[in-house]
Amino acid sequence: MSAPEHRVMVLCCPGLSVPAQFDQVLTAVTSFCPAVEAVEPGVCAFGARGPARYFGGEAKLADRITAALADLGVESRAGVADGLFAAHLAARAAGPVLIVPPGRTAEFLARQPVSVLVSQDLAGQDLASLLNRLGLRTLGDLAALPAGDVASRFGAAGETVHRLARGLGSRPLAVRPTAEDLSVTQEFDPPEPLAEPVVFAAKALAERMHEGLAARGLTCVRVQVRAISADGRESRRLWRHDGLLSAAALADRVRWQLDGWRVPAAPADPAGDADTDGGIVVLRLVPDQVVHATGHQLALWGETVVSDRVARAAMRVQAMLGHEAVLRPVLGGGRDVSEQVSHVPFGEKREPRLAAEPPWPGRILGAAPAVVYPFAREADVTDEAGAAVTVTGRCVISAAPAWLAADGEPPLRITGWAGPWPLSERWWDPVAARRRARFQLLTGDGRAWLAAVQDGRWLVEAGYW
Amino acid sequence: MAAGPSSHGLPEASEAIGAGTLPVLPALRELLPRGGLARGSVVTVAEFGLLILALAAGASADGAWCGIAGVPEAGVLAAAGLGLDAERTLLVPDPGHAWPQVVASLLDGCELVLLRPPAQAPAQIRQRLEATLRRGRGVLLVAGDWPGAQVRLRVLTQGWTGLGDGHGRLRACCAQVMADGRGQAAVARTRWLWLPAEDGRVTVAEPADIPDLPAVRRLQVVGG
Repeated sequence: MSAPEHRVMVLCCPGLSVPAQFDQVLTAVTSFCPAVEAVEPGVCAFGARGPARYFGGEAKLADRITAALADLGVESRAGVADGLFAAHLAARAAGPVLIVPPGRTAEFLARQPVSVLVSQDLAGQDLASLLNRLGLRTLGDLAALPAGDVASRFGAAGETVHRLARGLGSRPLAVRPTAEDLSVTQEFDPPEPLAEPVVFAAKALAERMHEGLAARGLTCVRVQVRAISADGRESRRLWRHDGLLSAAALADRVRWQLDGWRVPAAPADPAGDADTDGGIVVLRLVPDQVVHATGHQLALWGETVVSDRVARAAMRVQAMLGHEAVLRPVLGGGRDVSEQVSHVPFGEKREPRLAAEPPWPGRILGAAPAVVYPFAREADVTDEAGAAVTVTGRCVISAAPAWLAADGEPPLRITGWAGPWPLSERWWDPVAARRRARFQLLTGDGRAWLAAVQDGRWLVEAGYW
Repeated sequence: MAAGPSSHGLPEASEAIGAGTLPVLPALRELLPRGGLARGSVVTVAEFGLLILALAAGASADGAWCGIAGVPEAGVLAAAGLGLDAERTLLVPDPGHAWPQVVASLLDGCELVLLRPPAQAPAQIRQRLEATLRRGRGVLLVAGDWPGAQVRLRVLTQGWTGLGDGHGRLRACCAQVMADGRGQAAVARTRWLWLPAEDGRVTVAEPADIPDLPAVRRLQVVGG
């Protein structure tokens, strides 16, 4: 058993309207405790032990801080618990102060539903719903499982949430004094007046920082972002996350920090376009809490084949349409044409859904279709007499198919066909199980189609032309 | 931050050799006026399918990045079979209304962008993209219609071999491809190709091998 986490207080200010207000909050909290870490916009955290002793207890400290923030016109909630994760949950549930007594954090966590893991953007989303389906409703259910089993079933992400559920840090904090300088710096000459190019640079910078860390088998859970403006002012902020701060996540935090720090010039300014601070001259990322990498995230940074130019283009489209809008195809295994290609959002690890190695009996050999419909199209296939062609459970076809009408299109004469090729997949999994009979059809216009009968319905899955 | 160009693997070799064109598969060279895809130009194919993927394959295999926008049903497996490198492919299946900006962004990063534009792309937007294209070194491959295109290709006739009446499987496709266009491309050229041949490659079809193709391609020939 590793040492229990230290006491952490988290403040949530849900009603903040402008980033600049959060900056005021941080400044106010700094007067109670100098080492404040921003967690996300509207949420900050700090080690509670020292300040609590000074101000006469955790409850008194929380009261004084929420009162001080109320004076600023900011509504806040405070949560105190062992460790950041539990304290954050406590703050979210607080009204306005919730203190989980020392040593009782595991008890507090055990009652929380597994859905709280979603906010931990680790593998969050999927894992939470998967756990739910497995009948694990609360963190207590999850914590009761042996750590080794969870790790072997769910990998590094499972290990992380299991540690969280037991009230331990998401990663063993093997903090080591950073003997070498692992920070990265970008200078802007001329000074950059706009936030957007700085945020762009931050993403590339974050990637460089992670490369440097990864080369040493390290990763970091806390990063200090420093920005210096042309007029000599400096903004320093610590950002942390229980997962890994990816390059994109870090760029977001740089954006938040700049938004809060640099109040835009008043439009009434007679000098016109002159910005108040003359622009950013230096951006520096300093890895602050360095831990040993579990090896999982290395691949995220291991993709050197993407040039800066391509990455910039892809990221710009992602900025317009969203992260999932730009995909990179990965060829893998599977029996179906649609299965054999996985689509991975740009910037994520390229890994096929199904491994290419195992033999995939039932895969259709020969030419691959150029057109693969993301959703199979409904179709009618009829015989010479105009009756629908059916396929029995034993894969016997009622009559030779003569006409194909896809999705309301005029019927095409079928001039050649082959099949049915039965395919019974994943019969052990009631959700994914499919039984289908597949055909290749040739039509009078020279085109060819991949069609299938599933649950008595004809579907056109792909086209060869 | 000066990221050394050597640390990133975008091959620039084709620049020196191909000068003003991106390479295409050997079987397609005769269809194109300069034996390749002229940089800064628009090349159309009447319909999305094997032909346009084959056109993109040569440059991709040579190291170019290829962006594919507006084609959610693009069959990457077939494309890879023709020579397209999936590693250097970006897919933007649904660019929506922002498609002109998406294409312009992709052209910044990729030498080759394959686009299926909305049916009625306004002339103004098309001209702006053409200007972007001329400034850069990329090629825009359009599936569909694009009035300003330098070269237009389409499949006139095609027929698959290997499929019988209840037996066999698709093996190869013989296609008659026509190219025309403006300027150097004004003279129409027609070639018979195996698209693909039984081994998956694209080759020129010998007259003796061309199967009897009763089917004439659908009559939705693009105007203009």
